[in-house]
Amino acid sequence: MQDKINEILDYTKAKLEEIDSTAECQALRVDVLGKSGKITALFRFMKEVPPAEKGKVGQMLNNGKIEAERLISAKETFLEQAELEKEINSAEKIDITLPIKGCKGSLHPRTIIQKQIEDVFVSMGFVVEDGNEVETEYNNFIAVNVPENHPARDMQDTFWLNNGQVLKTHTSAAQNRILKKYTPPIRAVFPGRCFRNEDVDASHENTFFQLEGVIVDKDVSVGNLIYFMKEMLSKIFKKEVEVRLRPGFFPFTEPSFEMDVRCPFCDGKGCPTCKNGGWIELCPCGMIHPNVLRHGGIDPEQYSGCAFGLGLDRMVMLSLGIHDIRELNSGNLKLLSQFKLDI
Amino acid sequence: MLISLNWIKDYVDLSGIEVDELVKRFGLSTAEVEGVEYKGKELENIVVAEILTVENHPNSDHLHILTVDDGSGAPVQVVCGAPNVRVGLKTYFARVGGNVNGLKIKPAKLAGVDSYGMCCGGNELGIESDTSGIVELDASLPVGKDIKEILPVDDVLIEVDNKSLTNRPDLWGHYGIAREFATIFKRELKPIEREDLTQYASLAPLDIKVETDKCYRYCGLTVDNVKAKVSTPLMKLRLNYCGMRDINLLADMTNYLMLEMGQPMHAFDNSVVKGITVIEADKNLDMETLEHEVHTIESGAVVICDDHREPVAIAGVKGGLKSGISEDTTSLLLESACFDCVAIRKTSRKIGLITDASLRYEKSLDPEMCATAIERLIYLLRQVDKDIKVTSSLTDVYKYHYPKHIIDIDTDFLSRRGGVNLSLAEVKDTLVRLGFEVSVLDEEKESLRVAVPSYRGTKDISIKEDLVEEIFRMYGYDNIKSKPMSMPLQPVDQIPTHTVEYEIKYALASQFDLNEVHSYIWNYVEYNKSVGIEEQSVLHLLDSSKSGQGGLRSHLAPTIIKFVDDNKNKYPDLGIFEIGRVVDNIDENNLAVEKKKLAIVLASEKDSEKTLYFRLKEIVEYIARHIMHISVDYSLTNQNKLYHPVNSCEITAGDLVLGEMGVLHPAIAKNIDKRKTFAVLELDVNKMLEVKKNVFRLTPTSKFQSVSVDFNFVADKNMPYGEIEKALSDFKASYILEHSLKDIYKNDEVLKDKISYTINFVITPKDKTLESSDIEKFSTRLIKSMETIGLTLRA
Repeated sequence: MQDKINEILDYTKAKLEEIDSTAECQALRVDVLGKSGKITALFRFMKEVPPAEKGKVGQMLNNGKIEAERLISAKETFLEQAELEKEINSAEKIDITLPIKGCKGSLHPRTIIQKQIEDVFVSMGFVVEDGNEVETEYNNFIAVNVPENHPARDMQDTFWLNNGQVLKTHTSAAQNRILKKYTPPIRAVFPGRCFRNEDVDASHENTFFQLEGVIVDKDVSVGNLIYFMKEMLSKIFKKEVEVRLRPGFFPFTEPSFEMDVRCPFCDGKGCPTCKNGGWIELCPCGMIHPNVLRHGGIDPEQYSGCAFGLGLDRMVMLSLGIHDIRELNSGNLKLLSQFKLDI
Repeated sequence: MLISLNWIKDYVDLSGIEVDELVKRFGLSTAEVEGVEYKGKELENIVVAEILTVENHPNSDHLHILTVDDGSGAPVQVVCGAPNVRVGLKTYFARVGGNVNGLKIKPAKLAGVDSYGMCCGGNELGIESDTSGIVELDASLPVGKDIKEILPVDDVLIEVDNKSLTNRPDLWGHYGIAREFATIFKRELKPIEREDLTQYASLAPLDIKVETDKCYRYCGLTVDNVKAKVSTPLMKLRLNYCGMRDINLLADMTNYLMLEMGQPMHAFDNSVVKGITVIEADKNLDMETLEHEVHTIESGAVVICDDHREPVAIAGVKGGLKSGISEDTTSLLLESACFDCVAIRKTSRKIGLITDASLRYEKSLDPEMCATAIERLIYLLRQVDKDIKVTSSLTDVYKYHYPKHIIDIDTDFLSRRGGVNLSLAEVKDTLVRLGFEVSVLDEEKESLRVAVPSYRGTKDISIKEDLVEEIFRMYGYDNIKSKPMSMPLQPVDQIPTHTVEYEIKYALASQFDLNEVHSYIWNYVEYNKSVGIEEQSVLHLLDSSKSGQGGLRSHLAPTIIKFVDDNKNKYPDLGIFEIGRVVDNIDENNLAVEKKKLAIVLASEKDSEKTLYFRLKEIVEYIARHIMHISVDYSLTNQNKLYHPVNSCEITAGDLVLGEMGVLHPAIAKNIDKRKTFAVLELDVNKMLEVKKNVFRLTPTSKFQSVSVDFNFVADKNMPYGEIEKALSDFKASYILEHSLKDIYKNDEVLKDKISYTINFVITPKDKTLESSDIEKFSTRLIKSMETIGLTLRA
């Protein structure tokens, strides 16, 4: 019997020598180990084996079967590996360094900076309000304490419309609506497009963006305003900034201030941005005028508040290195399309 | 405005304080300083010299060769071009090595003759305006004496930003500024010296009539026997340093007084103007000013007339020529008046004449100052010409008194508003220094009654909050400590109309590679006309001279089309968007109906119109589903002539029209770029927020096997697929039914005016295994249902 087994194993080995595909391996496995395979056939002789030798012969057959399987599997594994390598080596080499399409879209620089600033305010619990561009005389002037004969109301400064409304000259035009909409404590910012009847040049636009904010609560003080502005501007400039207040004059606040920030571009050492002064005038602000609170239905004896404006266009120009304000409304894609989402 | 520190020091002793500190504190407490100029720095080695000899220059018809005694011992030869050289004249002489405002004096040859120095003209030195020759000095001055020992040419000029003085009429003269310095540095403010005019009360008054409410006060006084013609060197110096010219004594006097007290004054020749009538012009008048310019004063302007009602000055703006003082004037009528600030501003702007006087009157000057200004002027005049004779009583027509403001305030209020605790004494001290009258109401409550001085009460100060400013600006805003605030912890509802804006913008840039632009709110009228876009405006600008455009846009898309046009030659394919406002209607109250629109324009050289149109649909679906969480429909009618009449639609949700889109009208497209295809979208962003949000419902899954079946339906070519889609959505079945459009087949030969859709159905039973009879039943029902909308099963 052992001879027969050896004969089959020799046959298997010889066959395997000739084989060079996994499919042939599979065929050989059927030929040797399948239902009617050569080794399987030998098992049929078991019934003719005397009982005393059955164990031994059985062992012999099983060993032969295992050996045949080992031989075929080894070759099969070898061939699989070879075939895999062949597939890998014959694959097209993909050049992933080739450029992709897409990622070409851009946001307007104002959108980018506005969002960054809004995020700071939202993180401090502010609501971001949305105002109109065409405003009533009441909202734009009367409600924010701009007296009747104030020069700002002149045709030379304000775009008046034929229905008696105006293109809002400042974001403050939204103050009245916001003061009426909420009850103190109020924390709101309102970005918006403003219009002035001005001649346009590199630093003046008739259409520009501001971002204004109000805080109203009991006993809001100048000290609070300083605290808040410092925190807010530090967050916007992503570094600790120093601020200072100087006297200013705006009808909607009393007292009014000009807020300077220690130049964040040179840390106050002097650079072209701060015209070597070490400070940049950034943010008109003040304590909300009691008349403005009254117009907004808030009792100035009970509550006080502060308001501040940020020249959004100025922030955009400072942060992104744009030197001509006219570019912002130009539709010049060579410039605007540079402001992709990766910045 | 230029402020001379020497002048300030006439009224307040600022010794021991560095200029930098003065400027810094002033900037932090009062008004913005735009610049500081150190005068006299560049006047070096300039001395008094006497001309010893004068000879004509051999090579020039206007130069002279002089020898001068400059006090150095030996006569110095110098070539001089001034016409007023003469022997014995004393003048300012710049020695070799000297400096005349940047001109370094070196030995030189002028027209071939050696010259060792320079005789100086007043304007060269910057001490007077005269350009006609060299300075003629008093003969008593010793030669060799340095100019700096004679005249305070060393001075510091502080340039204050006029805009930051808008609300401070009291700061338009040196005395007001001196008061600020005195308060900031807690020094004494000296009074202004004046002549007491009550001594002339018995003299006859002038004939002054004021016939308009716009003249609040008019003070007049006549003076005779004015002999002096020339202002003092100091007065000339100060006028020139502060940016004015010296003209003659009387003109200089009124200007000097204006720079000192902030009160504009005018001097009429009393031999021409005998009396005054102030009127509001009832018709247009022409008047020739002192500068020989004829201005038309419009009806309504305030005009100063003489006793014959002939106009002699435009009130608060400019004096007239024929009534003005001349070299021969010895008798004058002084005007010191106060006018309505708005009237002066309007007149000044209308005639285009902004003067030092009108700038001050615009700020609401204090009428109380009128009389004191005349007293001061007479005092100054008598310093120069002691023999002047006042010939009238101070005639004072005082029509309008500003209300006297009394404000009660306490330290508690101040500390709550400022965030700093101040003592009663500190508060009182500041207010008193600034000229407020203060009395203590209640020691315990630390409350004060404060009377506002007239020069602060014309518009600047009337309420408590105004005093908060006064006290804390003097305390120093930089001394106020940053103070955290606490607020209740509560959720903040953001405004959807605002938040979706950024989400849309971000999606368009990130998902669809579009570029955002910003444009103007008005129509580009010329452009629209040039490419054939018809745009109407509901609202118009009353003054469009600076914008160049008359009407507000009622659609956003035309603007974006223009921007695409502007960029077309730079890019073969482009897509631009903006979210901006339009006004397309006015409501019943005549107020603008403003809408926030999104407009997108796509243009391409390689993509078909159909591709662009479908890209817009992808964008709309993205915004609707992913940002707004709504479903939208497409209605295939669009009346807007901007769009292709066939290939355009309205975007709707129920009854709401949310926007429109389509291929750009070919008539417009060919005017822009024949090589490109265009598609346009305009969507009402806020209206999308009105649409009911989609509600999510879970479809239960089934453990039974699904069956996938394809059906080929033939439909009329003109039937929109959306109708089939709707019918399929409405088709009810007891199975879980999913369908999708697998293929579209068009073949004019085979199908003629029909179109074939292959629709795949995945049928999943809920509770049993599907039998073939079930599928058959389903098919029959489906086909029958589709037949009701005109579909047939393709064989």
